[in-house]
Order: sequence, then C-alpha cells, then structure tokens
Amino acid sequence: MKEPDRKNIFTPGSIFSDRLLENWSIFKENLLGKIGLTLLIIFAFMAVASFFTPLIDPMYNPMTGVDPNISYSTGPSFHHWLGTDFIGRDILSQLLAGARIAFMVGISAAFMSIVLGTFIGMVAGYAGKSTDALLMRLADMIMVMPTLLVVLILSSLFGQLNIWIIVLLIALFRWPGVSRVIRSQTLSLKQRPFIEAAKVAGASPLRIIFRHILPNVLPLSLLYMTFRVTSAIIIEAALSFLGFGDPGTVSWGMMLQWVWKTGNMFQAPYWLIPPGICISLLTLAFYMLGRAMEEVIDPRLRKEVEGE
Amino acid sequence: MLKSKIIWFIPAIIFFLLPLSCAEQRSDPILKIGLHEEPKTLNIWLASDANSKRILSLIYQPLYLRAPDTLDLIPWLAADQPEFHPDTISYTVRLKQAKWSDGSEVTSADVAFTANLIKEFKIPRHYSQWKFIKKIETPDNHTVIFYLSRPEAIFRDRTLTTTIVQEKEWSQIAENAKKQKKPLRFLLNYKIDNPVGCGPFVLTEWQKGAYVHLKQSPYFFGKNRRIDRRLIGPYIDDILFKIYGTSDVAVLALKKGSIDMFWWGLQPGYLKNLQQHKGIKVLFNKKSALYFMGFNVRKKPFEDVNLRRAIAVLINKDFIISRILQGYGTRMDSIVPPGNKYWFCPDVDLYGKGLDRKERIKKAYHILRNAGYTWVVPPVDNNGHVVSGEGIRTPDERLMEPFEILTPPADYDPLRAMSGLMIQEWLRAIGMPAFSKPMAFGALLEQVKGRHEFDAFVLGYGRLSLDPDYLRNFFLSSNDKPRGWNMSGYKNRYFDQLANQSASEMNREIRKDLIWKMQKIIMADVPYIPLYDPKLIEAVRNDTFRGWVNMLDGIGNIWSFCQVKPVSR
Repeated sequence: MKEPDRKNIFTPGSIFSDRLLENWSIFKENLLGKIGLTLLIIFAFMAVASFFTPLIDPMYNPMTGVDPNISYSTGPSFHHWLGTDFIGRDILSQLLAGARIAFMVGISAAFMSIVLGTFIGMVAGYAGKSTDALLMRLADMIMVMPTLLVVLILSSLFGQLNIWIIVLLIALFRWPGVSRVIRSQTLSLKQRPFIEAAKVAGASPLRIIFRHILPNVLPLSLLYMTFRVTSAIIIEAALSFLGFGDPGTVSWGMMLQWVWKTGNMFQAPYWLIPPGICISLLTLAFYMLGRAMEEVIDPRLRKEVEGE
Repeated sequence: MLKSKIIWFIPAIIFFLLPLSCAEQRSDPILKIGLHEEPKTLNIWLASDANSKRILSLIYQPLYLRAPDTLDLIPWLAADQPEFHPDTISYTVRLKQAKWSDGSEVTSADVAFTANLIKEFKIPRHYSQWKFIKKIETPDNHTVIFYLSRPEAIFRDRTLTTTIVQEKEWSQIAENAKKQKKPLRFLLNYKIDNPVGCGPFVLTEWQKGAYVHLKQSPYFFGKNRRIDRRLIGPYIDDILFKIYGTSDVAVLALKKGSIDMFWWGLQPGYLKNLQQHKGIKVLFNKKSALYFMGFNVRKKPFEDVNLRRAIAVLINKDFIISRILQGYGTRMDSIVPPGNKYWFCPDVDLYGKGLDRKERIKKAYHILRNAGYTWVVPPVDNNGHVVSGEGIRTPDERLMEPFEILTPPADYDPLRAMSGLMIQEWLRAIGMPAFSKPMAFGALLEQVKGRHEFDAFVLGYGRLSLDPDYLRNFFLSSNDKPRGWNMSGYKNRYFDQLANQSASEMNREIRKDLIWKMQKIIMADVPYIPLYDPKLIEAVRNDTFRGWVNMLDGIGNIWSFCQVKPVSR
C-alpha cells in the first residue's frame, strides 16, 4: 500500500509554524519592529545579568551591597562603571535589577489586564443585552478613574504597597480599554457563519467563547498587551519616584527617588540619567514592537505601507 | 544756534538722569527666608507644625530662653533668674518693662492669665508643664509668684520657657470658648489673623500659598539691650517667608539669590555643590534629637528581652552614621543624646559597638541560642563559620512569624526609610523574617501610638528638650495607653519608682544619679534601640546678611533674628 504524501497533509502544527514564518517575514521588514525587538533583547539581557552581579562580589548586590571603600556618591570608575549612589552601592547593578523589575511589573500587569479585559470583552460582546450594558458601564467607570492618582491615594491610606499589589492595581485599572476593543471584535465575530454553525451544533456559550471567539481575538489582545506593558512600566516608575513604590525592590523609579531625595539630583548626572533613559527606551521598545505587530495583524496597514 | 544747543542739551540731560532713575532707592534689604511648607495656623495653641512654630517664635516670647553657647537659662521677658523658696515650694519671677505689639504693657496679669488658660483648657503639649502649679500670685504689675503643688524638676526648664500671650487678646476668646460644648476645640480652632506678641517682629501679611511678611515691632523690649552679653536688635526691618515645596527648588533659589536663608535641614547630597558656591555659607549644628528603633513589648516576639538585645547587637549604627547620614550625625547608645553632656550616661550596654558583621552575627546567635532559639539553618555552622541563617524558631519551638519594621516613607525622611531597610537586611542575615514597611507618617503614628498594632518601628524625636524628663515620659508604665508617650508598652516597677523620684527631685546631682540609673535600665531592657542623632545642615547667603547665631538645633533661633544684619552695615 502506498503511504500518503506527508507534505500535503495540513496539521495544526504545520499551519501554526507556517503562519509564524509568514508573520515573521512581515515583521522583519518593519524597521520600527526591528529596533524595538533589538532594544527588548538588550533589556532582557540586562534583566538576566542582574541575577549574576551579586555572585561576582557581594558589593554588587543592588539593595544591600556597598563598596567598603566608598561611602558617598561617586562617578564612574573601574569597579563601578556607572558610579555609586549615596551609600556606596553600585548604580549599574541597580540599573540591571531595575530592568528585571520593569519586565516583571510591565509584563505581569499587562498580562493580567489583558486576561481580564479579553474575558470581559468577549462575555459582554457575546452575551449582549443587560450583561453587555452592565459590564461596559463598569468599564466606563474604571476607564475615567486616573490610575496613578487612585493608586497614590490607596498607598497613602494603607501604607506602602508591595510590588505585587501595585501590579494588581495597575491591572485592575487598565483592562477597560482592551475590553471595549475585544467586545466590538466579538460583536462582529458573533454574526459569522461558523459561530452560527457552532450554535446549531449545540455548543455551549462558554465553549463558543473560548473555542471559537478567543482564537480570533487573541492576536488583538496580544497587540494591546504590548501597549499595556508601556503604561504599567510608566505608572510603577511614577509611583516609585513619588515615594509610593515598594521600598524593598530596586526599580528605576526607586533609583530616581533616591537621587532626588538625597539631594543629588543636580550633582550626580551619572546616577540620574541612566534610569531615566532606561524607562524611556524600554517603553519605546514595547511601543515600537506594538506598532510592528499591528501591521502584522492588520493587512490593511500593510497595504498602506506597501502603497507608499 | 539756540536750536543746536537744545539738540545737544536734551540728550545730555537724558544721559545724566537715566542712571539716576535706574538706581535703587537705598534702604535696608528684606531678609528673605525659604520655608519647606506653608504654616498651618497662627493660633499659638494649635501650632504644632514646624513652620507655624517658626513664625510664631518671632512674635510670641517666653519668660526665659536658652543661651546659644552654654544652653543655660537666660532671662528674656523675665528681668532676672527665678527665685526658689523651698519652704513654700514657690518661684518668684520678675518681669522686664515690655510692651505688646499693640503698645500696651506686658504685666504679671498676662503671665497669670496664660498659666490659667493652659490649666483651665488643658491645652495639649502645654498642660503637662503647668498642671502642678497650685496657685499664682501677682503682687504687682511686674512680679509673679508660682506656687507648686509638689517640687517639679521640669518647672525651670520647661514651664518657664512657655510663650506668654496677651490677656486682652485672649480673654474674650476664652470666655466665648467656655460657652461652647467643646471649649478646647473652639479655642484651638479660633482663627487668629493678627497675633499680638511682644517679640521682635509683627505679622503684616500672610498671602496664603505665596508668602508671609513680618516687620519689626516698634515696641520690642529687647531692642538695644544687652542680654547674655549680646546687643540685641533686630537690625532688619522686614522678613519675607517664601514657600518652596521641595529642597531642590529652595536650593536653586538660594543659589540664585532669591532667598537669603533656607529654614530647613539639608540632605548631605547638596553639600558639595553649595560649598563650591561663592555667595553661600553652609552651617553645621548639633540637634537635640533621638532617632531610634522601638519594639512592641506587649506581644510576641518582642516581649522577649533576649531577642531585643540580639537585634541591638545586629544593628550596625556606625554604618548608618557613615553611609546613610554621610558622617553628619552622632551614634547614640543611650536615650539621652551624647551632646546633652550633663545628663548623658556613658556607662550603658553598647551591644555591637566595634564589632564587624561576622562578630555581630556570632554574638547575636549566642544570645539567642542561650535563650532557647533554634534554626532550620543556624547562622553559625558547626565549624564556627557565618552562613545565611534560615527559619528561626522561638523558644516554644515555633517558627518565628514574619514581622514588620514600620518607618516613615522615603519622601518624608529618606534616612529613616533607608535605615529600616538596612536593619531588615541585617536581621534577615540571621534568619529573622523581618520586613521593612515605610508608610505615611500619619498612618504610622496612628498604628504605633494610637492603636498599638505593630511589631517594631523606626521613629525619631527631632527636638528633644534639654531636660531629660522625656526619659520618664517614654517608659513610664502609666503612659502605656492609646496616644500615650509609652509607645513600646514597657513596664518596669523599679524604673517607674526612679522616674517619679527624678521628676520631683530638685537637687541636680541627685537627679542626675537617678537619670543615669534610668538610662542603664532602659539600655539593658532595650524597649528602644537608640540609633543616631543627625547633624543639622543649613545654608545661608553670606553676601547679603551676616550674624547668624549657631546653636543647638540650628541657626533658626530668636538670637539669630535679633543679631542678623545686612552685610552692607
């Protein structure tokens, strides 16, 4: 008996890898995307490197390590490439640890807000009627609340917040935007024949939402995640800079707060500038990545670019 | 010809007159002072914030002041030293000829009125210094006799340094207050727009959010008098207080010349830059302050004195001084600051002084092991090497519950916040589940002082009085109550006995002996671990005004404002 030709069989894996390759070929044509990705890789390396610096010497522990010979803020030197802070801690080690915290905060908060926003958006769009009205009014109410201000008030009421509570709060305040987009996408998908077919076949609403609608809105959710990462990083940095961050973590915002509160703002540019630049570049990297992904997901944008 | 003369004459006149019109009118410059925040009130009885007190200190005056050099009690509104009569337990105080800023005379009736007002309304922060006054007599307009119900050591140092208010200004307010349901609240919340004092300055304008303007009082009793060998001014006509929200902006204003002095302690980070600036002088002064770590000894785990002693060993105070305070501070080993030489007891337990990190951990480990503490991973292994300790168990074989070290937030006080963080790390090295938690200052005080819901905290008293009576207040058993002074909940009968004895002991030498004993007890039981006494760093312009008087707690004192004069004079 003759074996079937494997090349002509379409398995889900092969479809996925084909799509991935196709999308990658579109993505790599995008200059913004390439710059964003390169920056992200650099910051990822920094985050990974932060685990190893304390192993070189305990003085490179970003929180507790101090140079035994330096007890004040000094500029760059052989042992401290970016200098030391006011008690002799290595600024480069803090910067590397800050990258880890930024990734952690950005990605976790964005992931949580996307999960929440996508779920609520799909449920609202699919269920419609009063459920839709209720969820969307809730989204409207949360959307108009200034996240930073609310977190600041909560922080002053309940004392300093743990980094994970900050992440949770950011996520809780940043889902409405995503849910609105996902809802409109769901409303459009709901009218498609394959959803009708699933209904006729007796699929439950939950199955329809998770099995048929979710795969179609997922690329859009992931796209929004890149933008949410940016806002989460900025909010955490702002909170820390104002003195409401988690004092037990070395984040870029916390570094800025230390340089400010210890009176070194105008005296130690080597301490002030690096965290500021890192915040800008990392948020820019995620933004560029998002723009490039937008092009991958939305063929209309691609055509516009090609047409120029 | 005439026409051409006129053509030349007019520009010539303009040429000579123009510089004259641009020249400043010569008058004494205004002393411009930067404040960190706006004053909250001009009601002397409500004023508890630093900036209100600062402004009011130039308006209302006390009977006695501290001399800047010796810190001895100097007659200010009083004419001479108080006379003590042991047989009647009374003090006689004679007043100088002085006038209020409305031109009326300062009399003994004003002094008696102030005392009675404080006693009658039980005015917070003042009542404790006046409640033991049994009776006040005013035999004439310039003599006051205070009769005490019992001998009180704090009478001279605390009671007689209270500011005096005018009877005419406050009697009607007091009468109205008495008719209210809550008289004290009425009195404290009464809005004072033009405070009448007998000090060197009077308020002319308070433009909220912008500035406070004071001008020289024409009736100031000290003008051209020699007090404590100093010829008293003031030599300036006006003071303008400007509000700057952050130190950065105020320092820039100082460098630019927009202000002549910033009345707020500076962080050491500003020093290098300021010292390089030609027109600025940086001044360093000691503070009578206590910054400490306190424990809640009412509950586990800190009810155990051995645990508190081990923590006292683990805390590296020298690190805090040299690194966090950048060397601008003094190590504290007792509750009384070492600068208060007469009362400070040097003979107390010094715990970890002079030990390095490993020696500290070993010493703390031995204290705890001997007290029955065990570990999952002991911080000292079988070979005597220091390792990272894990899972400390209390003597009842239970794993120690995580505990919090509450500190003010870094934006309020970066030094305390950072100290809390470092203490957390030192305790973790021995396996203690310590978590430093900076929180809003008001919430922190409510939790520690109001509700007593805490494990440990790092707080401070920025302006301790020179009389060490606070030692009694901080640790007296009866002060362990909501909002009471005894925040730790420390109880020791012998200490109470000594404390009460010290309060009524009028012999300084005997009292000193009692105070020393009290310090030794506290440092043996360590409900508080004293950490540091920071130095005060202040900056002024030296090209505009001169004559600032250095004193304990800085140059912002009444002596400075009565001595400072324009450089041009």
